[in-house]
Amino acid sequence: MIAEMYRPGRSLLHRWDPRAKLLLLPLILAAFFIPGDPVELLVLTGIVVALVAVELGPRELVPPLKTLWPILTLITVLTPPFHRAGPVIVSAWGLPVLTAAGLRFTAVLFLRFLGITLGFFAVVRTVSLDDMVLGLRWFLVPYSACLVVTITLRTIPTLAATWRNVADAHRLRRGAAAGRTRLVPTYLPVLTSVLIESVKAIPLLAMALEGRGFGRRSARTSFAALKSASALAPDLLALAAAAAVLLWPAFLRI
Amino acid sequence: MTEERPAFSPAFRIASIAVLAAVTTVLTRVVQVPLPARGYINLGDVAIVFTAITLGPWSGALAGGLGTALADLLSGPFAFWAPISLVVHGVQGLVVGAVAAAKPGNVLMQIVGGIAGIAVMGGGYLAAGVFLEGAGPAFTEVPGNLIQGGAGVLLGILAGAAVLRAYPPVRQWKW
Repeated sequence: MIAEMYRPGRSLLHRWDPRAKLLLLPLILAAFFIPGDPVELLVLTGIVVALVAVELGPRELVPPLKTLWPILTLITVLTPPFHRAGPVIVSAWGLPVLTAAGLRFTAVLFLRFLGITLGFFAVVRTVSLDDMVLGLRWFLVPYSACLVVTITLRTIPTLAATWRNVADAHRLRRGAAAGRTRLVPTYLPVLTSVLIESVKAIPLLAMALEGRGFGRRSARTSFAALKSASALAPDLLALAAAAAVLLWPAFLRI
Repeated sequence: MTEERPAFSPAFRIASIAVLAAVTTVLTRVVQVPLPARGYINLGDVAIVFTAITLGPWSGALAGGLGTALADLLSGPFAFWAPISLVVHGVQGLVVGAVAAAKPGNVLMQIVGGIAGIAVMGGGYLAAGVFLEGAGPAFTEVPGNLIQGGAGVLLGILAGAAVLRAYPPVRQWKW
């Protein structure tokens, strides 16, 4: 089962308009790339961690941290050897292992990676992909591009189920050899079956789209809609506040 | 009897990109192939190579880019890699399809295109990794990406040939 990351809820983040949250994404990137000072990044990361913990619950921090720890460990272990400038903090057999510049750069990469990842996680956790597509349409992303995304999202669960069914059928046919996993003999028959099944669906889907009027030039209606632009004002104010909080290191520099 | 004029209808292009992007997402997120040593690779690259050589470079670029970006978005913690995957795998699909289209049906050109695609994908992720994680961690991901890309080329070309043989109408769908 492929489930989207969205979890329904009543937090402030959930109630925030998806368009404001889409604008928040580049803001998060800017916030974590502008400062090069580890202390500023530590404060920003702390804000994001607190936001996730307070708004979504402390347990929501576990899945991303579980996924991230190998990369964070690699950053911690492998970054210092590439940055040897500055006073030596730790040395072994006369060779510098950790220098001040190495420590500083490691802290910057560690906090930046953690902060951006958690920030994006907070957004995808609180906005459904349907709302995200509606938001993209509001930002004048072409209708056909949004339609592709919508159809893809609707097709994914069916295809995932098809993969499992076909894989199970092939496993049964292979009998005693089913325990061994070899790339081509194990996966090629399943892949071929699933790909044939998928490409056969394309002409039917195209006919259905044409039958529903795709390609006509008349104005489009929408089953679901986001709130009007005038009602967006409180969300934009909140976004401005978020920008002030996230970009304070940049403002300090100005 | 129907007369097919598929690849040139906008509805057909929308449908083909959407379905093959979904295939890419499923092969990226659902299918995990265990490696002999340790760890797993996914088969997202198989879908990109298959799409690029059977349906052409633009299908490969759009379906590959969108499918992998959605897989990142659905993964949660790696959502911020979605724009990077969109570009890197999009260019990969475009390159594989463009090289393979130089001599349609020629397996050697498909392999060359696949290798060029691996270089684009590996280089793209390495550049993004160096920028986001630093050089050390980024270089540790290179072998995994190369193995995944190689498996993608091998299975993508074989699956492409099998699908073309089993379902010949696909030959007319290239654009």
